[in-house]
Amino acid sequence: MNRNLRSSAGALALLALLLLAWEAAARAFALSALVLPPPSTVAQALWKGLASGFFWPHIRATGAGLLLGLVLGGGIGFAAGVLLAEVPALRRLAMPYLVVSQVVPKLALMPLFIVWFGFGMTSMVVITALICFFPLVENTLTGLASVPPERIELFRMLGASRAQTLWRLKLPSGLPSVLAGLRIAVVLALVGAVVGEFIGAGQGLGALIIAAQGSMDTPLMFAVLVLISVLGLLLYQAAVLLERRLLRPYVQPS
Amino acid sequence: MSFLRLHGVAFTYPGFAPTVEGVSLDLAAGEIHCLVGRSGCGKTTLLKLAAGLLQPTHGQVLLRGRPPTDPREVGFVFQSPTLLDWLRVRDNVLLPASLQRRPNEADRHAADALLAQLGLAAHADRYPRQLSGGQQSRVALARALLLQPPLLLLDEPFAALDAITREEVQRDLLRVCRARGASVLFVTHDIAEAVFLGDRVSVMAGGRLVRTVRIEGEARRRDTPDFGAACNEVREALQPQETPA
Repeated sequence: MNRNLRSSAGALALLALLLLAWEAAARAFALSALVLPPPSTVAQALWKGLASGFFWPHIRATGAGLLLGLVLGGGIGFAAGVLLAEVPALRRLAMPYLVVSQVVPKLALMPLFIVWFGFGMTSMVVITALICFFPLVENTLTGLASVPPERIELFRMLGASRAQTLWRLKLPSGLPSVLAGLRIAVVLALVGAVVGEFIGAGQGLGALIIAAQGSMDTPLMFAVLVLISVLGLLLYQAAVLLERRLLRPYVQPS
Repeated sequence: MSFLRLHGVAFTYPGFAPTVEGVSLDLAAGEIHCLVGRSGCGKTTLLKLAAGLLQPTHGQVLLRGRPPTDPREVGFVFQSPTLLDWLRVRDNVLLPASLQRRPNEADRHAADALLAQLGLAAHADRYPRQLSGGQQSRVALARALLLQPPLLLLDEPFAALDAITREEVQRDLLRVCRARGASVLFVTHDIAEAVFLGDRVSVMAGGRLVRTVRIEGEARRRDTPDFGAACNEVREALQPQETPA
């Protein structure tokens, strides 16, 4: 605990040091705020946006789209993973297509989605869902397939039905792997949502970056970047906490 | 009439030499029969045949004169404890019951009684990862005994334990099995373990039973001359004799 505290204090000190160096450099070299605004200017822009309520609708839009995409893509991915793990014939049939669909850069599909689903939230949710889909399919599949054979035999010995084996053995056994997939998906979802908004949205943090670029408002751009990072950190932390909470019995007690 | 009878049982994995070849074995009710052999002699396969996990390619397995139909008549303990990490110890023990119905008060009492008998009463609410290896082996044993199966099959359940813990768990096993009158088929590669536990010890080699030694009287107690003699007899049978061409 003590060591934890000390190391996070160290990390914070490093952050402060870096910010100070940045501030000093920006002033010393008299860089234009258009190129590299000093942290103080960025902080001002951030504060102004938050206090005036200008940022909030955008944060809401990105957050909502991201969560919707994550739930949709993750949910479908998980279900598909279970299905593929349980039906080997289907797995052999579908696996090549899944791999191909994974290799195609999904952000390159964004213009197509705009044609199909129009500007706005739908396109961005679809692209986020598509990005979240694969980590969950893959990790669910691996998790369910890697149940130790002795445990499968145990369930057979005890006369367990197929549904019971899935529900009470394979899913709990695969849970660590599924949650690791979720943690990956959360991070990728943010990338998907923001880049999706670059191209296909009038609202949201991604759209705001493009708008800031258009009006050459670099401090605003940095402020939005800070917001995106904080959003990402929060989501990642939430995933880690969920993992820690659910996997407590799986790890050696400290 | 024998309780479990293996009659000329053979098993071959497709594309391999026979793993088990014509084994016949009778297990009386309440008897403990140990199978000793080197690694790869087919003892685990034989146990799985007796459990009905595998179907023999020749011969038959009869439990009380009939082919085993209900796998729940048999308690099986694997080489590793194979406990479910996400369930508390009590729920692990209750697993055989909870796969069939909602465990009732009587089931919970039975589980707690077993845990108490095996000295684990204080650990019922912990998770398997929080227990030592010996404790995990005991939990696996309790789980196999929960439904009071008349036949208990054990596949080197204590192989991973240190010598002192192993002797403790052996004593517990003997006590619990005698108290319940369960018939036991016990596979091991430890000669002393086999002689200590078994009413009879069979030596297995190359998929066949090559010798069966009856353990009686003083030979059941460790550190007696008879015990040593029985161990020697088993060890001699284990030595590679004239290898069949």
